[in-house]
Amino acid sequence: MNHDLFLPDIVSGNAQAFGTWMAYCEPTLRLSLRSFASVVDTEAVLQESLLRVWQVAPRFVPDGRDNGLLRLAIRIARNLAVSELRRTKARPAEAEEIEEALADDDAPPAPPDPMLRKHIANCRDKLPQKPREAFEARLHSAGGRDDDELATRLGMRLNTFLQNFTRARKLLADCLKRAGVALDEELGR
Amino acid sequence: MTPEEEDLLIEQVATAWRPAAEDELTYHKAWHDLDAAGRTRAFERARALRPLEAALDPDGLSTTARAVLTRITRR
Repeated sequence: MNHDLFLPDIVSGNAQAFGTWMAYCEPTLRLSLRSFASVVDTEAVLQESLLRVWQVAPRFVPDGRDNGLLRLAIRIARNLAVSELRRTKARPAEAEEIEEALADDDAPPAPPDPMLRKHIANCRDKLPQKPREAFEARLHSAGGRDDDELATRLGMRLNTFLQNFTRARKLLADCLKRAGVALDEELGR
Repeated sequence: MTPEEEDLLIEQVATAWRPAAEDELTYHKAWHDLDAAGRTRAFERARALRPLEAALDPDGLSTTARAVLTRITRR
């Protein structure tokens, strides 16, 4: 799928269209940073890169190939990660470039299909109270609050909050596995 | 550091939350306490969690995408 179909709306300043573009492209963009994971904070790089894509999108000129904006995003993210490497003097394993990231079929399709949504929601609803509170607190904060603050709001110590979140994650993984949903192994570790 | 302590650090780093900043990268403080293997685990953990979050979001957005949208609309 060519995700540049959202480009006209993104260029006109439609943040919702950019959100939809992110829903499709975030997994591929994240995966393109894997070789940097041990030496830079890839979540910080990813978010800053997405922000820069939004800022430069109005000046982006497609080259006629599919997913031009995603290619640009990968380039921005890699350049940002390399800048961070210069700061830390560390080096990642040599990574293949943009084409490899785009061709990687491991990236899950997004947004998820309705059946997957249903299974995940069913499993979430079965969580015990405290783990569910921790899981939903993170989900609803949408990256806007740190775990210390979320823990305080729930009347938990930070470690208790994290232990509850871990328990929720593992219970979700077990439940989804029983429902026959293929999972990333890391979810249940 | 015990394996249990490392697990909790990995869980923290896998969140989409990062300290607020204007025009610079700000790392999660717990990221600095992890070794290379722990940081890679945190990357994989985040990669595993985001599709789950997106599936529970009405617009199919992960917490990463939500955090970015919040920063965009604040500017």
